[in-house]
Amino acid sequence: MDGVERRFNEIVKEYSERVYWHVRRLVNNHEDADDLVQDIFLKIWTALPSFRGEAQLFTWIWRIATNETLNWLRRERVRASLRFTTIDAEMERRIDDDPFFDGDAADRALSKAVARLPEKQRQVFVLRYYDEMPYEEMSAILGTSTGALKASYHIAQEKVRAALGHDLFSGSD
Amino acid sequence: MSKRNDISTPEGYFDALQQRLGEIPARNPRKKVSPSGAFYRLAPYAAIAASFLAIVMIGSAVLRPTAVPAEDDTWTYVSYLADALDPDGAALVDGAGWEVEEDEGLTPDDIVNYLLADGISVEHLNYLSYEEGY
Repeated sequence: MDGVERRFNEIVKEYSERVYWHVRRLVNNHEDADDLVQDIFLKIWTALPSFRGEAQLFTWIWRIATNETLNWLRRERVRASLRFTTIDAEMERRIDDDPFFDGDAADRALSKAVARLPEKQRQVFVLRYYDEMPYEEMSAILGTSTGALKASYHIAQEKVRAALGHDLFSGSD
Repeated sequence: MSKRNDISTPEGYFDALQQRLGEIPARNPRKKVSPSGAFYRLAPYAAIAASFLAIVMIGSAVLRPTAVPAEDDTWTYVSYLADALDPDGAALVDGAGWEVEEDEGLTPDDIVNYLLADGISVEHLNYLSYEEGY
């Protein structure tokens, strides 16, 4: 086992679960999240020798995960249109059909409200609300200023609040 | 409302996931660059072509400043210099610098001297002078 392989195995141990949960929140389905996590780690394996350490390893991994997931969502939008449906409807169907969704009706409503957000807002919302990531780290991953991210998260909160009909975020920024 | 407990995974999923992800290096070995690769096969030919090109470029760069210009070019350049330096008719005389050389054309004396030197008799010349009205 060479140094790169050893490092890759450490990354798998350290980050695979966190990457899975992040992806799962965005794609709303266990099977798709599982496939996507494999694609993400294959990409990490391919690109690992070229990782020079200018960025933090965590930021680099999350950037790959974020880009792969956004690409998947875009492809899914096209597939949905070919099936004469919308990505929002497709996401709601996934949440309803997911055998590993254990929440109550309120959880389901929240997941559906998040799924209806535009892709980038959804990503900001998931990183902030579910992953509880600081804005500075989000900025490094998404290449957006913290001010813009705060604004984006605020807009996303408003949309989710309006969809749910009650304030979910009292006390959060 | 919890943030994570609303979704779950199959039992033992993350152990299986880590095992599967750990197999990625074995399933996707890196391509090692070997001397039998296309680059190494073509490298000698590329080196020869690059050497030839370098010789041609260096040769032309060295030889161009010392090359003798074509004759027409030389005379064009000399004429241009002469006109530029002395538009009134100064001509370049080897080893003597610049001097004015008037072009008077052929005079009757020149013709007479030439004919005498060529063996024409004085009588004949007088006859010709009469015929021409000189």
